[in-house]
Amino acid sequence: MGDGGRALSEAAAIAGIGYTPFSRDSGVSTTTLACAAILEALADAGLGADDVDGIATHRVGDSAPPWVVGPALGIDDPHWYLDQFGGGSVSHAVIGQAAMAVATGMATTAVCYRAINARSEFRPGGQGRAPVGAFDLQYQAPHGLLAPVQHYAVAARAHMLAYGTTREHLGHVAVTQRANAAANPRAVKRDPIGMDDHLASRRIAEPFGLLDCCLETDGACAVVVTSAERARDLRHPPVDIAAAAWGGGHSAYSSAARGPAPPPHANLTTSSAARLAPRLYAMAGLGPRDVDVAEIYDCFTWTVLVQLEDYGFCAKGEGGPYAASGATRLTGELPVNTHGGFLSEGYVHGINHVAEAVQQLRGEAGERQVPGAEVALTTGQPGHVLAGTSALLLTAGR
Amino acid sequence: MSAHRRPRPAADRDSAAWWEALRRHEFLLQRCADCGVLRFPAREVCARCRSFTWSWIPARGTGRVVSWVVTHHAVHPAFADEAPYTVLHVALDDAPGLFCHGGLTGAAPGGLHPDLPVRAVFTDVADGTPLLLWRPEPAQGPH
Ligand SMILES: [Zn+2]
Repeated sequence: MGDGGRALSEAAAIAGIGYTPFSRDSGVSTTTLACAAILEALADAGLGADDVDGIATHRVGDSAPPWVVGPALGIDDPHWYLDQFGGGSVSHAVIGQAAMAVATGMATTAVCYRAINARSEFRPGGQGRAPVGAFDLQYQAPHGLLAPVQHYAVAARAHMLAYGTTREHLGHVAVTQRANAAANPRAVKRDPIGMDDHLASRRIAEPFGLLDCCLETDGACAVVVTSAERARDLRHPPVDIAAAAWGGGHSAYSSAARGPAPPPHANLTTSSAARLAPRLYAMAGLGPRDVDVAEIYDCFTWTVLVQLEDYGFCAKGEGGPYAASGATRLTGELPVNTHGGFLSEGYVHGINHVAEAVQQLRGEAGERQVPGAEVALTTGQPGHVLAGTSALLLTAGR
Repeated sequence: MSAHRRPRPAADRDSAAWWEALRRHEFLLQRCADCGVLRFPAREVCARCRSFTWSWIPARGTGRVVSWVVTHHAVHPAFADEAPYTVLHVALDDAPGLFCHGGLTGAAPGGLHPDLPVRAVFTDVADGTPLLLWRPEPAQGPH
């Protein structure tokens, strides 16, 4: 949809980002986390809460909704708000929707946030708290198949069986990202790890060990979306939203079998990102070769490998060897998860990938800066659990 | 035996009859009356022709291993005593694109491989909850 996409990139930009500290116990409510991150993001942009007329988040019953956070900040009459159901699959869709709201004039300045006490209150995989709204769960829960780590382990094993992907391939993701986190003061885990540490880490759900899994984190992150024109007058160089895409997919069950041939989602080794990527790139008029830095959703190591394939950076099945080649290091041809990702920086369910991409495109990432980064891909959960995915292509504005 | 109760299947309006059949140790699929496509899990509408007319048919009860997970860290306290436990992702022989999860029984995970033939086994846990498990088929010798 070339023309529509061009319209979006000329219309909406990210003008500010904000974080709370990331921790294992924030000691405060998700409302407090959300407000703190939003105020940081507004200050970063050089704006105040009175400039905001749009507010958006995503959650699965685990966080303060916009109709609580808005009034808490004195935003009494937002022109546009979004309370999106979902976890990491919709993390980037929220920002894409805000870009649409700004592009159409529904809002002039929108704040997008994700606030979660994912370690101290709402552990996604640690206490048998099932994913909300998972239709398939009734057939899985009685077998003890309950957590995303297990579903992704099934998919990762299928990839190993089909392509020879190994535990060491997964390890390259974890080791590289931890090395990146050493240069990120915000990261929860900064102590270096080696391949031996990865391979020896406690087994969680084979083929995954502990160091294949993201950190359960308390924290919040926020992003300010405004018009590209307005963003040019603010504190930082704007980051343009060159493309946004999100969409459905299928879970691991054939909930829409259409026979007689296997449905396109039957192959566990390909994610929903493979169907989304072409329209994302087309909207921006860019391709994978144009991407300078990629912040790829890493709830587990394997999701990085499958997305390297499905976003077109290497051939299908080659994600493991591609990561092992060093290509995804800070000094490689495609630096990936420059902040350490969810595996090392912390897991606030997607949006901190966007904030890192913004820092890279502004050239303010310090020791972990990718020189001359002008195009960033940042992605949501690739599917398989609640099945959809979302992604953004961001470009350095001028 | 863990003091924690195993998660029970929460049937919905589409699947209630499927769970009732499982209590009778019957594994059913739906067959579209208009285009004949088979489906699982339970739904009222055909994803191929969008018909709402269908019937239950018995599944063959056989399939092939696609993948599996061996869970060591019990994600729910009810499974702490069972860990490590293996759950299979099985492609049903009845139709392409139909899958069913289930626990592994009668074999160790070390012997699993893709396309391994498996057969459904019905079992009832202590509170009467029916479970559909999968047992590898013995190798077929010449007759
Ligand atoms: Zn039909």
